[in-house]
Amino acid sequence: MKTFEEKWTAWIDGKLSGAELAEFEASLPDKAAAEAEKRDAQKLGTFLKEHLPCAAMGNEDFFNHQLRERIAGDEPAIRDRETTGTGRAWWPIGRLVWVGSTALAIFSVCTFFVMREKAPTDQSQYLTQILNARVDPAVSPNATISMFETQEDKVTVLWVEGLQSLPSEYAHK
Amino acid sequence: MQRRSILLLGVMALMLGGMAPAQAASRTVWSGLVIANNVENPEPIPLELNPLEGTLKSLFGYNQFKVIGQSRKPLVSGSEDWLASSKYFSLHVDSKGSNSAGYVLTLKLFQEKNLLLETDAKLSKASPLVIKGPQVGDGQLLLVLVVQ
Repeated sequence: MKTFEEKWTAWIDGKLSGAELAEFEASLPDKAAAEAEKRDAQKLGTFLKEHLPCAAMGNEDFFNHQLRERIAGDEPAIRDRETTGTGRAWWPIGRLVWVGSTALAIFSVCTFFVMREKAPTDQSQYLTQILNARVDPAVSPNATISMFETQEDKVTVLWVEGLQSLPSEYAHK
Repeated sequence: MQRRSILLLGVMALMLGGMAPAQAASRTVWSGLVIANNVENPEPIPLELNPLEGTLKSLFGYNQFKVIGQSRKPLVSGSEDWLASSKYFSLHVDSKGSNSAGYVLTLKLFQEKNLLLETDAKLSKASPLVIKGPQVGDGQLLLVLVVQ
């Protein structure tokens, strides 16, 4: 179903015929004005055809060459985008070797500092040390305190004698 | 690409640098109130005391060691305090800080509200601490602290 504008354009171009032409001309509210407009449009068309011919391209080879170069330049980028994450190697071997050896060097340096920090300078640092100990003389007047370390498993013992004995019910959880 | 290399190296360095603090932060101190006594059929020694079984038996001469109160405290900052308690006893531990060798602790043993014993100790990661407490019935109260 053609719109009025399509029929109007076809009518001006003289492409309507038969029943379609008769039907369209009958639908025009002012046929004389329409005929005048048609003539004006045809005159304008003729005038434009005569006085505005298509500008001929003087440098078409150069333009063609520029286009081809631009297309050729864009092709690798397009291929890269298409293949990213699928087939292309992430890093070349040389760079992987370089990164590997750098990481190894960093690891060695860090290990050295960590080990140096952790290594005790004195054997006594391995052992638990009792800095001081006290009992309330009012509660346990006869209490004595001594301390020692066992040789086999390096247990530090604080040995308190003379604390007040308590009944067995104090052993409950 | 160059930027990616630098980023990767930075991440690796951070990971390696973070190893030491992570190790230090993962320590836990087990504190236990233990009753040692002699019985005909002794119960198996608690898991925490397993490495010390020989030493405890030879030092104190008992064949059974029962945990009547305990606490397992992960030390993050090294300045924490905690309590291991039984029905009548409680051991209050106050950690005053840590270094590469261990933790500086203040220990207070209470029998209900009475302070029986107070001591300051530097608890090493490689050396447990055992404190002989009062006689309880036919047994002995022991306090044990182990860095795990």
